[in-house]
Amino acid sequence: MPAKELDTTVASAVAEVEASSSTTKNGSYTSDNIKVLEGLEAVRLRPAMYIGSTGEMGLHHLVYEVVDNSVDEALAGYATRIEVTIHDDNSITVTDDGRGIPVDEKTLDNGEKMPAVQVVLTKLHAGGKFDSSTYKVSGGLHGVGVSCVNALSEAFDVEIWRDGHTYEQDYSKGIPISGLRQAGTTKRRGTKVHFLPDKSIFSVTEYNYDTLAQRLRELAFLNKGLEISLADERVIDQKTGEYKKTDFKYAGGIAEFIKHINKGKQVLHEKPIVMEGFRDNVDMEIALQYNDSYSDTVFCFANNINTADGGTHLSGFKTALTRTINAAGQQLGLFKDVKENLSGDDVREGLVAVISVKLPQPQFEGQTKGKLNSDIAGIVQAMVNEKLGMFLEQNPQVAKRVINKAIEAARAREAARKARDLTRRKGALDGGGLPGKLADCSERQPDRCELYLVEGESAGGTAKQGRDRRFQAILPLKGKILNVEKARYDKMLGHEEIRAMITALGAGIGKDDFDPAKLRYGKIILMTDADVDGSHIRTLLLTFFFRHMNELIKRGHVYIAQPPLYRIKKGKFEQYIKDDREFVKVMVKRAAEGMVIGYGNEGKKLEGAALTKFMGQLNEYIGFFDKVNKRLRNEEITGLLTKHELARRSDFEGDAATAPAKLVALHDDLEKIHKKYQFKGLTQPAFDEEHQTWSLHFTDAQGAVRHIDWTLASSPEYRQLMTKYAQIKEHLEPPFVIEYATKGATAAAAEAEEGEGEATVETKSAPKKSARVAQDPVEKQTAQELFEYVIEQGRRDYQVQRYKGLGEMTSTQLWDTTMDPDRRTLLSVKLEDIAETETIFTTLMGEDVESRRKFIEENALDVKNLDI
Amino acid sequence: MPAKKKVVLRCPTCRTLVTATDENFPFCSDKCRVIDLGKWASGAYKISSPILDPDVLEGLGEMQRPRGDDDDDFRN
Repeated sequence: MPAKELDTTVASAVAEVEASSSTTKNGSYTSDNIKVLEGLEAVRLRPAMYIGSTGEMGLHHLVYEVVDNSVDEALAGYATRIEVTIHDDNSITVTDDGRGIPVDEKTLDNGEKMPAVQVVLTKLHAGGKFDSSTYKVSGGLHGVGVSCVNALSEAFDVEIWRDGHTYEQDYSKGIPISGLRQAGTTKRRGTKVHFLPDKSIFSVTEYNYDTLAQRLRELAFLNKGLEISLADERVIDQKTGEYKKTDFKYAGGIAEFIKHINKGKQVLHEKPIVMEGFRDNVDMEIALQYNDSYSDTVFCFANNINTADGGTHLSGFKTALTRTINAAGQQLGLFKDVKENLSGDDVREGLVAVISVKLPQPQFEGQTKGKLNSDIAGIVQAMVNEKLGMFLEQNPQVAKRVINKAIEAARAREAARKARDLTRRKGALDGGGLPGKLADCSERQPDRCELYLVEGESAGGTAKQGRDRRFQAILPLKGKILNVEKARYDKMLGHEEIRAMITALGAGIGKDDFDPAKLRYGKIILMTDADVDGSHIRTLLLTFFFRHMNELIKRGHVYIAQPPLYRIKKGKFEQYIKDDREFVKVMVKRAAEGMVIGYGNEGKKLEGAALTKFMGQLNEYIGFFDKVNKRLRNEEITGLLTKHELARRSDFEGDAATAPAKLVALHDDLEKIHKKYQFKGLTQPAFDEEHQTWSLHFTDAQGAVRHIDWTLASSPEYRQLMTKYAQIKEHLEPPFVIEYATKGATAAAAEAEEGEGEATVETKSAPKKSARVAQDPVEKQTAQELFEYVIEQGRRDYQVQRYKGLGEMTSTQLWDTTMDPDRRTLLSVKLEDIAETETIFTTLMGEDVESRRKFIEENALDVKNLDI
Repeated sequence: MPAKKKVVLRCPTCRTLVTATDENFPFCSDKCRVIDLGKWASGAYKISSPILDPDVLEGLGEMQRPRGDDDDDFRN
């Protein structure tokens, strides 16, 4: 017996075997031998009981069992390097540089003698790890040890380098096919195990490189400094021409593990927080780092075993984390507007943590060792309280970020609670649960029903009177609230409004609840005032639908009513007009009767249909002109841009030495008016290296720098302005002389055109033409003045009423113009270009004030005209 | 409409990119959807504009005048 160490190692293992399985002490050599085989035979009969499965998991498990033995040698401080190789035949070799499995002869209690290595490889629950003096800390996945691997392998060869000698022994299916032989001398130390899993047992025999790599990497993380390599002889690396191979060695230990998990994520603090402690023989190592996600990733290990179901080490950590972060938040004064303490869920949002404890004789729960039961929650908690508390105190910046993230999480939780409130059923007394404000229709067939969402109580009242109650339901929404304190109107949809809407629609809300099939109305019609307030409410409503009832928009259930903006009247004739554009059309048409406009100095004239068309185009031109002019704030200069027709990119291009001709010409013109407007500055055309284009700048009297460049010229409104300009430029030649031809022929011609009114509702027959008295010709110098004059002429003939809101209409008028399916126009809300729509919405809700206002003024929404 | 243009938007809550085919579109996750819904439920989305009607302002007393900014103000 050379080594004393060997005695202790094997003796206790053997004692364990004997205690559990020995029935007789007087058995012969043969019967004892059979008993040993019985142990491993049980493994072969029910392999899943020992290694989990005979599938892929179990197959890989074999490797972990062998590697774990080597890791134990590393934990004990003897091994530094483990090599794992997958061979071409899917057999595996595991080599370490530990002490080598003891080889000396061991006498079993029954008197039988065999080398210690053979005991380890052939007896269940044999090995050094059952004696805490040999291995203070040991993992071992199921404690069944390497003997199971032996039992389940077609071939199993062990090579041991120990005390200057090499020893070898071969097995098949757990049975030694040779004795232990001393093969030669060596200076090496360690153990090499080669095994080929038994194909008659495993349904999967192909090893997966990534699966092994993942576990081996984990082990390398958990055992700081330990080097583990994985080679795959089935695959040649294209770059190196050698076998595929990965080395895992992490000097940073679990801190590096954290970084590995957080790779590619936004982290709240650069370095993982590392805490270490040793108490009552328990070695604790915890690292954590927060990222900006909402989920938490916590890995916990006990003696290198991944305890997926947690246990005492995890619960101790969680308790301490919650407590410490709350304490730090109080101390830093971050909880001023937080009502309750942060919960455990709050402080774990975005957390990535690895907890690794190593302790002698760990207690696990469950067959798979998924949960640690050893009573260590208290010491883990104490360690984290102390170390994390200290860290947060010393790093207030990190602390603030982490705590604010948790506060955000708490707010989100509060938001979720409020969101749930929206659909919480009210009591049975509440009459079917429909909102009290809803005036429902009598029809029950959803596809025949319409729900009008009406802004304001008074308009709601009008709509209730005007509707066809058989199929039209009305839900008035209070959208505008007086904010006395700030002297502003706040447009918003309060909790009750949203709730009433969701309940009336009946389709629910939220991922699990929302069901478009339960929608109670085939058409949801938003009816808001035709003013800015109305468009705000509509925007809010549409944003809400877009985000939370997207499917309703997709299915074409959402519409926008088109209440008229104008009512014009002349005698018995009455007409409703939906918007300014249409209004101008009608006015122009009226005014153009008998009108002749002379332009330029060569006696050119416009009249009749050509004049009407021109005025329509002029109207649009002026609209775009005004938009472009908002950027330059000088009508004359905006006019010059069109005059010089600076439209194409080529008009701004040129080599760095030669400014483009049009820009030079424009500059010359600006020189001439420069004084008149008291410009503070005007640059020469300059070449912009960055954009490779030329540009001009002037500083106006107010000191604002205005840019004439490709950015301006490529804007949508500028392009539209140029398009319109091209259409009408031949007529844009002042002076404009307005006169009336003798009535008769032209008036009759105009009469014939009447009646093709578009999208307007005509309720009475057209008015009689008023006899226009021939007037003196009027001369106008600009297109704008001409336009205004012509509109004024049209207006003179009518009583014009501009509706400020739905409330100004009678219920009959509302029915006639906006609600009667036979006569109304509805805009169907489409999401054909969803990206654009959401961009618009986010612009509205976002920070960019200017583009937001622009949107409100100019764009209604992404709606397509649909005549019903 | 350009044919089969891939629609990519930003999640209204966390601004990560979301494609139109994602399960929680226009949100990146149910969590972000719930947070947004909570904002609606607590009246966090406001469009605010100054009161310009002199009669209404009169009623508010002399102390409070609209502030200089006449931009619409969205707060959430």
